[in-house]
Amino acid sequence: MWLQATLLLLASCVPSSLAIYHDEVNHIDYHHALLGLPASQSTFFLKPSAASNASLLYTLSEKSLLGAVNPKDGSLVWRQNLSRSALPAAHNSAHGLLRASEGTNALVSALGDYVSSWSALDGKLIWENWFEGEAVADLELLELEDASAAPSTKDTVALFGGKAGVVRRLDGNSGKTKWEYLDESGDIPFQLSSSATEVFYVSLQPSARKGYRIKVVSLDPMTGRQTQQQILSSEGDVSSADSVLFVGANTASPMIVWADQSHKTLKVNVIGTKQVHAFDIDNTSGESISSIAVHAPKKLESLPHFLVHYETESTTWAEVYHVDLKSALVSKAYELPRLQGWSVFSTSSKDANVYFTRITQSETTVVSSASHGVLGRWPHQAPPMEQAVHSVSEVVAKGDAVAVRSATALASGDWELIRNGQTEWTRYEALAGALAAAWVEEDAQEDLAHQLEVEGHESLYGAYMHRVKRHARDLQHLPEWLKELPKRILTSILTDEVSNLDGFGIVRPVVVATENGRVYSLDAGKHGAVSWKVKAAEAESWNVKAILTQPGSATIHADDGSSVTLDVTSGEILGRTPGTAKIRSVAVAYDGTAPVTVGIQDNGAPLESVDGQGFFVTLSDDGRVLGWAARDNQHPAWQFLPSPGQKIIHATARPSHDPVASIGKVLGNRSVLYKYLSPNLALITAVGESSATFYLLDAISGKILHTSTHQGVDPTQPISSVISENWFAYSFWADAVDPSSSKGYQLVVSELYESPIPNDRGPLDSASNYSSISDLPLPHVISQAFMIPEPISHMAVTQTRQGITVRQLLCTLPSSNSIIGIPRPVLDPRRPIGRDPTSTEAEEGLFKYSPFLEFEGKWYLSHSRDVSGIKTVLSTPTLLESTSLIFAFGGDIFSTRATPSQAFDVLGKGFSKLQLVMTIVALTAGVIILAPMVRRKQINAIWKASS
Amino acid sequence: MHFSLSSLSLFLVALLSTTALATSALTITIPPSNLLPNPNVLPAGTHATLTTLTTTGNNHRILTAPLTRSATFLFHHLPASTKPESYLLDIRSPEYIFAPLRVDVAADGSLLGIWETFRGNPWDNRGAEKFIVDATAATSTASDVTVDAKVLVRRGFYEERSKFSPMALFKNPMILMALVALGFTFGMPKLMENMDPEMRAEFEKQSRSSPISGATRSAMTGGGTPGNFDLAGWMAGATPRPAPGVEAATSGGVTTGRESGGASRRRG
Repeated sequence: MWLQATLLLLASCVPSSLAIYHDEVNHIDYHHALLGLPASQSTFFLKPSAASNASLLYTLSEKSLLGAVNPKDGSLVWRQNLSRSALPAAHNSAHGLLRASEGTNALVSALGDYVSSWSALDGKLIWENWFEGEAVADLELLELEDASAAPSTKDTVALFGGKAGVVRRLDGNSGKTKWEYLDESGDIPFQLSSSATEVFYVSLQPSARKGYRIKVVSLDPMTGRQTQQQILSSEGDVSSADSVLFVGANTASPMIVWADQSHKTLKVNVIGTKQVHAFDIDNTSGESISSIAVHAPKKLESLPHFLVHYETESTTWAEVYHVDLKSALVSKAYELPRLQGWSVFSTSSKDANVYFTRITQSETTVVSSASHGVLGRWPHQAPPMEQAVHSVSEVVAKGDAVAVRSATALASGDWELIRNGQTEWTRYEALAGALAAAWVEEDAQEDLAHQLEVEGHESLYGAYMHRVKRHARDLQHLPEWLKELPKRILTSILTDEVSNLDGFGIVRPVVVATENGRVYSLDAGKHGAVSWKVKAAEAESWNVKAILTQPGSATIHADDGSSVTLDVTSGEILGRTPGTAKIRSVAVAYDGTAPVTVGIQDNGAPLESVDGQGFFVTLSDDGRVLGWAARDNQHPAWQFLPSPGQKIIHATARPSHDPVASIGKVLGNRSVLYKYLSPNLALITAVGESSATFYLLDAISGKILHTSTHQGVDPTQPISSVISENWFAYSFWADAVDPSSSKGYQLVVSELYESPIPNDRGPLDSASNYSSISDLPLPHVISQAFMIPEPISHMAVTQTRQGITVRQLLCTLPSSNSIIGIPRPVLDPRRPIGRDPTSTEAEEGLFKYSPFLEFEGKWYLSHSRDVSGIKTVLSTPTLLESTSLIFAFGGDIFSTRATPSQAFDVLGKGFSKLQLVMTIVALTAGVIILAPMVRRKQINAIWKASS
Repeated sequence: MHFSLSSLSLFLVALLSTTALATSALTITIPPSNLLPNPNVLPAGTHATLTTLTTTGNNHRILTAPLTRSATFLFHHLPASTKPESYLLDIRSPEYIFAPLRVDVAADGSLLGIWETFRGNPWDNRGAEKFIVDATAATSTASDVTVDAKVLVRRGFYEERSKFSPMALFKNPMILMALVALGFTFGMPKLMENMDPEMRAEFEKQSRSSPISGATRSAMTGGGTPGNFDLAGWMAGATPRPAPGVEAATSGGVTTGRESGGASRRRG
């Protein structure tokens, strides 16, 4: 019985599982699945299949992510990363294109040399094709009038730029080229347009003096042969490709629109005719026109109407033009009034009707293209809307009334859906460009600490009075607290939330700085909702190097040496320091009380010297590792150069918060292996052509403590490394270099001990001081390598308050879009190889080594979420030893809590308060029933014994 | 069709430095299996990769094939290189684990063979053959190869939370023991009453010397379980003491419930 009881006791101590529960999803974690800012020409509403009623919102973002968003709630339906398939050289400068056609359930996208077609419903591939050395300049779907063509698929015409312009017709089912038309005239390939019967190839022909003439070549859509050619004399107006405002796409009568350079006249040509219609631009604002944009419907059956949007510094207006199909005459129909402030226009069509939606900062209006009567007007909710960049709309007409929903991209990088003037959802797409993040330190405790400090400095009587006053002041919260009490008790029994963990630093907000100069604060308590956002950079974009938080504020350091300090509760800018010199990173020196930040220059030298003890290890642009004493920023204390042919790609050190719970490891036979614990370790990764070397350095002296070299390593694939406590890990792709070696991704774990012999502390023994400079003992290193199924692009380690909890190695898996936490005991390099563990080893928790480490499902912190594009994973301790907060950013935003040894200090959801109450009730009832029985029995026993 | 063929070959000529046309396309299909009855439920992010060491000779990226509508992966044109390459083919899916394959490609980009491979084993240790080029028909041109992918395991991301059920309660050994003890408490006196007086006297005499019934009796008289057991000492491997029951019997009913209560609390 006792054996059994003890075993039960032991079993309860060993974590049986680490996976998360279904009901914890969305409770302990949150995820923003992002696309990046939608590109204006590649965003639209579309019905995903001919049968479906509701449409989805499709976009190809500036991050080359193709995605479908549900317009109802803004959730992501599917997405594809086009840059994964495009040639790496192509997608740096290339902008993507996305086209679709009603009723085909297919999307066609192009990025650089890569053209692909995707199923609109589920985002699966229909076909893909590469055209090496060429870049897609324009893409159109052929809408042919002949009904004989199968309506379910539509062929694509694509215009390729490169050495010469090429027009290709790609098959709608296979993506194979049906015909191609090569333009070797040396003109600049510009755009494509198509009508029901012809394909038009528009190019810009440099004229002899200056400017360009617009050349239109008509091609037969069946054969690709040139049928006719027209040259429009536009050389006076068109100075570059940007001067042409619009090349009409797939309307019944496609057209070309451009304006002269002074924005005085608008010129319109209906493609296929020679005639150029000129209209005077009626600008009475007195300001010069800053931009002109043309909005036209894209469907074949739509009326040939289009809208020209004029914008000056402070006002906007628009004109609507009609094209007569028979005579190819263009006439101005009506004008939309000039309004102060910005406005964005979008076109939508329903059957033949065309609607124009105008969104201004105060209202949304819809007009029909046929007449200027306003069909619908919806004022926006206060406050005035942020400036929008572009929008797409969907108009539904019910009799005379219309309803409209518009997906509007804002200048701040957000994407909003406005339905009849109401904001339905906002996607913070700017967060896809997150550069740095940090947890906020709340200043709630700061006030108390300050009060206590005051008390400490006063006289005995003064301190006493101060405290009495403070407690009396606290009494004013008592009625509120009492009022809340019944509600709190009730909710704590009824709700899922077992205990309110807010006081334990579990729900700390995160401050995120993004590429476009914005700073966001994410509220962990509300599924990562944005609590405030602010434009903190003075320029359009910045390169953030670090965010440092102090209680109540956060300081953001940019690479030009400038910094901005924000209030973390409101986002208010508290102060700025101007940039001095370009920096490559920011180092933090803890000098006395306040942390001091020091910028590190490109050559690795600190910008300034810091008084006091300390040292920096820096990387320079020319691939050296430098060690600096804090007080000397002129002469490095040491420098480290890898072997010739090697290049340093990464350096990492132990996290600043890395507590060690035990200085030794207790073996099964009760002897101890002492850990080699040095706070001054740096792990340097250097790569050669097909090799990788990992150097473990002592940061004070620059001495190499350990080196490991791996051959057959692919330096173009992700190589990640991490160091913590007395161990380090790294992963890479290694190829088979000899017949016995394997091919695949590897994860290597090494542990450092003071001595190979248990109970021995090496030459230093238990000395309290040691010197890094003179005879520093080398660690005893035990390593083990594992084959892993996937690449790891980034590694981090979970951090807890005391370091007692088992650590997890946090790995970002870019190929399956997941984040996993591998428990450290699995990666113990002392696992016995080729034999079963002995009983003492089994007692230590070691099990047999197997060269292949399959990632188990319960290690997946991101479980079934698709967390893509993660560049950095952060971890921070909470006041609960069991729990570590995790925040991942770079593409998506993902945050969760990790409990590597289970939540041993928290009552989880498995703890049912109701059950507990019921048990107590049942026991009480039992006692009430049994008590008289027992009493009677005892009395009987006494009386009967005496009788 | 004429156009498409010629342009395709044009493109290949541009792609390959050699004029060989032996490039073949590789298709991987996912047949329905017990673990994955409907391969069309795989999310759109599922893709296949062909990976080998990047060198100056083959200078290319990792080849990627997204999942198609028909739940296949299609590698259109395997790249040519200066020497034959051996690729590792993986199917990337967070939820399903697929068997990796080894794909050997000749210098001109034609397929040489496809085998199963085993992670953590030497690369030359090949498994079952999926495809091998026919050496006798070496002159044959481009051929499309189709192989099946095998789902090995489905990953379970979630833990099932144990539901409260009375049956589970009765499966707990502690509860069962408590129930047996309860049965004794109520059942024994009834049994004793039904015994004939001679036997009862004999039984009582015996039970005084027997340790087990002594413990039972002490339990019956409200003394609780024996409390003198040194749990800490026992766990530390100290020399076993005489049977705890005897001790409890000798110390009679003077044991307090405090320590035993403490032990049971710790047990829970």
